[in-house]
This record gives sequence, structure tokens and C-alpha cells, in this order.
Amino acid sequence: MRCDQAAEMMSERLDGRLDPAGVALLEEHLAACSTCQDEWCRLQMLDGLLTSAPMVQAPVRVRVGVMARLSRRDQARRAIIGGTALSLGTVALTLLALAPLLLNVLDVTGIAPALISGGPATIVQLLALMGAVCRTMLALLESFAAPLVFLGICSLAVAIALNRLWVGVVGQMQATR
Amino acid sequence: MNTETEWIEQARAGDQVAFGRLVTAYQTPVYNLSYRMLGNASEAEEATQEAFLRAYTHLRSYDPNRPFRSWLLSIASHYCIDQLRRRRINWLSLEDEIAAPDGPGDAGRIRLASDRPRPESVVMQLEQEDRVQKALTGLSPTDRAAITLRYWYDYSYEEIADTLSLTVSAVKSRLHRARRALAKALEGEMMYAV
Repeated sequence: MRCDQAAEMMSERLDGRLDPAGVALLEEHLAACSTCQDEWCRLQMLDGLLTSAPMVQAPVRVRVGVMARLSRRDQARRAIIGGTALSLGTVALTLLALAPLLLNVLDVTGIAPALISGGPATIVQLLALMGAVCRTMLALLESFAAPLVFLGICSLAVAIALNRLWVGVVGQMQATR
Repeated sequence: MNTETEWIEQARAGDQVAFGRLVTAYQTPVYNLSYRMLGNASEAEEATQEAFLRAYTHLRSYDPNRPFRSWLLSIASHYCIDQLRRRRINWLSLEDEIAAPDGPGDAGRIRLASDRPRPESVVMQLEQEDRVQKALTGLSPTDRAAITLRYWYDYSYEEIADTLSLTVSAVKSRLHRARRALAKALEGEMMYAV
């Protein structure tokens, strides 16, 4: 057996993982090799030193620190969730309150819809577009209604006048016959 | 269902009081591992707290079939190995760390979990502790973790392999290498001890 193999077997023996056959082989090598005997002594002393080294006790403040950090983390999480909910609620209520005004502004400027995109903003955009279309149609009707009414009245007056004239002419012709 | 399992279930449901009981039960094993790995009381405190916070965060991924202590020590080991790798460039000597206490009075000095011995024994024990700790700092982070789990937690090769995500063969060779390095570093001290 080589010395490096023996060294590995020493480590295994300290860990109780060397079978009896391996122990016998190691003992045989140790009996013939003074270098490995010294190494075995050193490893055994080290094993004793480490085995007797005690567990280091945790200071009381470790537990206090863990619980404090957990508490702070929970508070921070609650603050984030609460703050987000509050912000969203405020924005939603503000949008609701200002919806008519926003629709008018969007209709007048026509720029805002281009700046708003995605999610709830898209709904506002669509509502604004619908509002704008409706208002445009009403404006067109208004712009066409007045002339039509005037022409209609004029036409009706002319029609009535022509009708009266025709009735008169026909009446005169019948009277002369 | 035993008490520990109940605490784990309650902690999983968000019960911080139950988690506090788990911290009380396991703070010393986690702290000792952190101290052996990092060699510094204040860093060990920070690592212990961080390991528990990570455990709380990932409690839902904990497999109840595995011992809770192993799971917890695995988290602490990986955290400490990461910390050691990060500070590799600014490696501090043990003398510097001992010379710079972490707070007023003897706050930086470690406390041993064993029975309180006589004053002269305390001095000798602390000196021996310092020597062992100094020798541990000469090991690579993973070798240090393997030796710590083997000697302070009596872990088998298989348990060390599971905790450190290594093969059993790698654990065997790491322990062998670490022992030889420690024996060399502590050679003079062991002669006095004998």
C-alpha cells in the first residue's frame, strides 16, 4: 500500500467508515512506515481536539433580531400593499369624478388619446372616441338642420303661393265659361 | 403530529410566534455553524438572522420528510459559503477579528454552550477555541463547511453531501484534505495539548 492510500484510509477510519479488512491493511502499513505512524498520531490528536470543541451558543439578541426583521418586513409589505390599494382607489375615484370633463377635454384637444395607452386608459380612450363621434354627428345635424328648415319654410311658402295662384287662375277660367 | 411539526405548520400559515419558537430551538446550531464558517461573532449573528429569514420566506418549499435542522443548516451553509467567496479578496486574519470586538465590553467574545468552567479553564478553552478557529479559516469555504458538519453536528458523509450538494466521494476527499491541512496548521498546538 502506498502512503497516500494509507492517509485516505486514516481519514475514513476516524469517521468509522473503514471495514475490518481495511483496518487490518492500514495497521499493517503503519507497523512498517514511521512517516504514516506520525501522520496517524497527528490526525488522532486533531480528531480529539475537534471532537472536544464545544458548540458556540447564540446570543439572545439573535432571536430578537430575527423577529424584529420579520416584523419590519411584514410592516413594509403591508405598507406597500396598502399604499398601492390607496393610490389605485384614489386614481379610480378621481377618474370617475373627472370623467365628463376628461371626455370633453379629449374631444376638444384630440391629443390626449394619443398619449394614453393600455389598460383602463384604453377604455377611457374608447369612451372619448365614442363621445367625440356622437358630438360630431350632433354638430353636423345642427349645422345642416338650420338651412334645411329655412329652405323648407321658403319652399312651403312658395308652394302655398303657387297653389293659391293656380287655384285662382282655374277659378277665373271656370267663371268665364 | 409533534410539537416541531405543529410549529412548522403554524409558521407556514404566517404565525410568527410559532416561527419564533423554531428560532429559539435552532438558533444555537445555526449560529455555531455560521461562527465556525465565518470566524466572526457579528458576521455569524448576521448570517444566522439571514438564514432564519430565508427559511421563513421559503418555508412552503420545505419537505416535511426531511429533518428541519438539516434543511436549516443547509440554508445557513450555503449562505456562509457565498459570504466567504464574496469576501475572498479582503480576507481578514483571525487576530484582527479578535482584536476588534463587535461592541462594548465582551460583546464580541463567543459564549460556549457547555457548562461554565473555572476561570483558568475558561482562558485555556478560549485560547484553544481561537486556535481551532484560526486553523479553520485556512480551509476553503466548502471544506470548512464539511469539517464543521462532521465534527459539531456528527453528520454522516451522506448527510454532508446532501447539505452541501456534493457527492459522497467528494465529501470523503474533502474531509481527508481538510484534516491534513488542519493537522498541519495545528501541529504545534497539538503538541502542547498532548
